[in-house]
Amino acid sequence: MASATNSTNQLLPLELIDKCIGSKIWVIMKSEKEFTGTLLGFDDYVNMVLEDVTEYENTPEGRKTTHLDQILLNGNNITMLIPGGEEYLLQATPLTSQQITKLSSFLTKQIKRSLRLSLNTMIFYYLICFYTL
Amino acid sequence: MQQPPQQERSPTEFLSNVIGRPVVVKLNSGVDYRGILSCLDGYMNIALEQTEEWVNGQLKNKYGDAFIRGNNVLYISADKTRKREPLNIQ
Repeated sequence: MASATNSTNQLLPLELIDKCIGSKIWVIMKSEKEFTGTLLGFDDYVNMVLEDVTEYENTPEGRKTTHLDQILLNGNNITMLIPGGEEYLLQATPLTSQQITKLSSFLTKQIKRSLRLSLNTMIFYYLICFYTL
Repeated sequence: MQQPPQQERSPTEFLSNVIGRPVVVKLNSGVDYRGILSCLDGYMNIALEQTEEWVNGQLKNKYGDAFIRGNNVLYISADKTRKREPLNIQ
């Protein structure tokens, strides 16, 4: 409806971004580029002023990060804005080698245990068969 | 209304604050231009002094003055420090 601005329970897209001022935000660009930082302000073109920014550039060689104090980001190439910043990114980061070793040792332990159990049951049944015969 | 006065800074405020300061201008192509920002407008057209052109982290060129057309600009980056006195260079 055109009267959406008057309704109290509906939030316009840019009002959402306005609520993010002063907090962390994650910006995804048209190209393989992302920014996270504290949003200080923006305008009608969604040009944004960000502080304590990390720039992520996804290249075939891996992700390149750059830290920037304060930037005015051109709104022309922005595709998506996600309130909250990089805590979402952290979920997507690959496991560290330490985590991988822990996980693999846990899995081997589990597999060995289940193998041992099944071997035990096999022996048990074998013995039962042997004695009944 | 109950919100505390935040350090909100709109793009136009940012632009007026960075004039005269050392900045990094990144273009969509990935090239960085470092220099003193002498003036700029709402299109992000930029005039830089003592410009250095950095490509893939390597200094490729130096220009005394440079004009950058705004449509190529990805971002303008400045240090957090507030406006500093220009260095005394004889």
